[in-house]
Amino acid sequence: MPESKDARSDLLQGTLDLLILRTLASGPMHGWGISQRIQAVSDSVLVVNQGSLYPALYRLEEEGWIVSDWGASENNRRAKFYRLTRSGERQLAREQQHWRRLASAVFRVLETA
Amino acid sequence: MAATRKLWHRLRSLRSQGRLESELDAELRMHLELETEKNLRAGMSPDAARRAARISLGGVEQIKEEARDAWGASALEGFRQDVRYGLRSIRQNPAFAAAVVLTLGLGIGANTAIFSVVNGVLLRPLPYGEPERLVVVRQSLSSPATPGLGFSEKELLDYRAASRTLEDLVEYHTMSFTLLGGREAERVQTGVVSHRFFDFLGVAPLLGRTFRAQDDALGADAVLVLSHEYWLRRHGGDPAVVGRVFQMNNRPHTVVGVLPNVPQFPNENDVYMPSSACPFRSSAQTRENRGARMLNVYGRLKPGATLGQARGDVASIAARLQADHASFYPAGSGFTAGAVGLGDELTLRARPTLLVLLGAVGCVLLIACANVANLMLSRMLRRSRELAMRAALGAGRGRLVRQLLTESTLLALLGGLLGLGLAAAGLDLLVAFTARFTTRASEVGIDATVLGFTLVASVLTGVLFGALPALTARPELAEVMKQENTRAGGGGGPRRARSLLVVSQVAFSFMLLIAAGLMLRSFWKLQQVDAGFRPENVLTARVSLNWSKYDEDGKVRRFGEELLRKLEADPQVRSAALSFSVPLAQTQPFNRRFQIEGRPVEQDARPSLDFRVVSPRYFETIGQRLVRGRAFEDRDEPRAQPVAVVNQAFARHYWGDSDPIGQRVSFGDEKEPWVTIVGVVGDVRQYGLDREPGLELYRPFAQSPGWGAVLVRTRVEPTAIASLLGRAVHELDPEQPIDRVRTLAEVRRDSVASPRLTALLLGIFALVALMITAAGIGGVLALSVSQRTVEIGVRMAMGAERGAVMRMVLGQGLGLVLAGLALGLAGAVLLSRLVERLLFGVPATDPVTYVAVAVLLLAVAAAACLLPARRAASVDPLVALRHA
Repeated sequence: MPESKDARSDLLQGTLDLLILRTLASGPMHGWGISQRIQAVSDSVLVVNQGSLYPALYRLEEEGWIVSDWGASENNRRAKFYRLTRSGERQLAREQQHWRRLASAVFRVLETA
Repeated sequence: MAATRKLWHRLRSLRSQGRLESELDAELRMHLELETEKNLRAGMSPDAARRAARISLGGVEQIKEEARDAWGASALEGFRQDVRYGLRSIRQNPAFAAAVVLTLGLGIGANTAIFSVVNGVLLRPLPYGEPERLVVVRQSLSSPATPGLGFSEKELLDYRAASRTLEDLVEYHTMSFTLLGGREAERVQTGVVSHRFFDFLGVAPLLGRTFRAQDDALGADAVLVLSHEYWLRRHGGDPAVVGRVFQMNNRPHTVVGVLPNVPQFPNENDVYMPSSACPFRSSAQTRENRGARMLNVYGRLKPGATLGQARGDVASIAARLQADHASFYPAGSGFTAGAVGLGDELTLRARPTLLVLLGAVGCVLLIACANVANLMLSRMLRRSRELAMRAALGAGRGRLVRQLLTESTLLALLGGLLGLGLAAAGLDLLVAFTARFTTRASEVGIDATVLGFTLVASVLTGVLFGALPALTARPELAEVMKQENTRAGGGGGPRRARSLLVVSQVAFSFMLLIAAGLMLRSFWKLQQVDAGFRPENVLTARVSLNWSKYDEDGKVRRFGEELLRKLEADPQVRSAALSFSVPLAQTQPFNRRFQIEGRPVEQDARPSLDFRVVSPRYFETIGQRLVRGRAFEDRDEPRAQPVAVVNQAFARHYWGDSDPIGQRVSFGDEKEPWVTIVGVVGDVRQYGLDREPGLELYRPFAQSPGWGAVLVRTRVEPTAIASLLGRAVHELDPEQPIDRVRTLAEVRRDSVASPRLTALLLGIFALVALMITAAGIGGVLALSVSQRTVEIGVRMAMGAERGAVMRMVLGQGLGLVLAGLALGLAGAVLLSRLVERLLFGVPATDPVTYVAVAVLLLAVAAAACLLPARRAASVDPLVALRHA
């Protein structure tokens, strides 16, 4: 969607993992739900490239930060739900702290330089 | 924790690969449905809603591929897939695969073969108990230079008593005796050793026992231990041989044991006896004379002692001996003793040759790799569509590289398999070759280490020639699809890579050709050496007398004279002669101390000469030149005036240009008669074509009986009288063995067999390298020409002449070759230092070789460039431009 490039941001490398973990922190969710949730919460500024969402989910599962189960979705369809594990919570905390430090550093540079 | 969970996850995904695939399918399907529904809610038409959903999700196959990569099992599954693709692509292009496998097979085969020799000879530990503790002890003089002086029994006992670092100091020497009691009389090579000798080596008997202390006591009953090889050859592996009695040296000898099948050290012997059983060694004369040095001495380092300490130890013992027995160790003779590790000693002569050969085959393999990499690169151009398509269908870049590497490794493994076959086929030849340098040759074979080497070499090769094309491959779909034909593919990266490969091929070939050229020239020089005799039409044989039977001068002389009479009575024989030994037949000089009349010298400070005994017509039989005076004649009989003939080196050394005839020399004390010099003969290279003639003195057989070889100059093909020779000997003494029947030409040829084989092997490797390189240059130029067809067409349309186009292509090719030559020159100077030790009469930087090799390489390269150049010149501008 090139026409919207100025308004919306492509996700920075590596931030997708953080966003997925943060989204799952509020409860189990399926893939499509995660993408919608990120978009909604960020006022549509962040567009999740849906193509990269699923590989990211598999990667996080491989790392052991999330696990998946099959369950029934809103309108009773079979869907794969992901939820955060304990080590996923710890990872989320680590990444949040890291991200805040980075963001505040960038912010300071923008303010003072 | 995390590790076990990961492992569990991995195993689970391995087990249920199929299930995970279908789950992912279901998941993506649902995603699409939900997205479509959302779009419908937003008011899109059903069609538009579906399309928008699909677009926002992106390529399903690519997602699957990436997800698979995230799975633990993907590596393994991907590998299986890679192998499948690889095999398919090999089947699709069998000619390419065959070219690659053959090239690599040659390269890997040569490496495997040479490595199996290096492994058996240099790498594998000696098959003895604690081999790293075994040392060779050696006494030496610096003036006259005598590296291996040997030990007398008195000296051995002194070292045994005084050494603080060595235990099990054992002695060894080898003799040839006649053994009776078998089917026929035979000559057996006999190792004469201390009773501890086999304990020192850590070798236990296969049958019976080895020697005990009481066997070694003076006057003990004589016993024998048989070598494994002799036991199989002569006694068919019969265990009942233990206890059998044979006659040797007029005494009964009882077999007490058989050795296991281990390489013998330091020489191969048929049988072994304790030192007390050897009549020379146990005679009072030998035992009491500190100067009677006939023994090799070996020792075992005491626990904790180092080789360095042992060196200091034996050197200080030698210094004490010199102080205590000054008359036996003249001051200024540089008498000393040292020690070297047994392993190093055994492989001393083989090491430089093997290292040069290993370097050579390494070069061949690198050149082969470069060629195959080039083949792969040009094939990549043709496959760029396929690769781009795969990328478009979801293959990640890493995945493509991996697939190409898998393919190249598969090819290399096939090449390795072929190479292993080639190596196994050539191994017998190589073992025979190695046996000329070291007794360890018998240990050469294809074992687990060699197989491992071949495997590693194959995989490394595969990665080496696969990595370059894989990394320069840029499967950009748009770029490739845009192009009208596949010809134009291959940007600057691959083209530079190909040029670089050709340059390095030329460089390595040049190095290899230099090494081979130097060896060939060295061998040629060796062949050109005038040995001082005429080898045509001479038959030689070893007839070593059973000296306990021929124990008087009269008997020895009668046997010899009758044999000569019988031989010379035959019309096929021109002349016949007896001698101690045959020139160049790998014998040792018989050194005797002497003095010249009127130039008295203290007994211990006397110089020594090579003492030889020959029958009257010896010089004319082998064709040795008579320079002054006369040769021996029948009148030089026992009671006549004692006479001698010296060689030119001797005459020049002591009398310069003046005439030595009439001068007298003596050996031993005043009682022995003076010997008058009656003639001077030309110099003969007795001990090797590469060794300068020494100082020789000949005595007539009749006055100094003793002989070990018979030589016959024939009027016919010399081998035709071999049976006549055998018959003549056996008519005189049916028990007398005769062996090593060879023509003198054969003897001479055999004496340079190892440099010839080294030169031959290097030459073969260099030729293979040259051919591979020529193919490489030609291939790269041909590709470049076909890529530049349009450009060439344009040039010709603009008026370029065919000659100019040809020159352009030739210039491009030869430019690469010249760059390679320059690089190779630097490498060759380095490599030639390694070869230097193997050379005779040729400096390692021999300009003739360098120029000749450069010209040869250029000529071959030019020929390889010619075909593509002519194709370039025959480009039809009209056709080329129509295709543009």
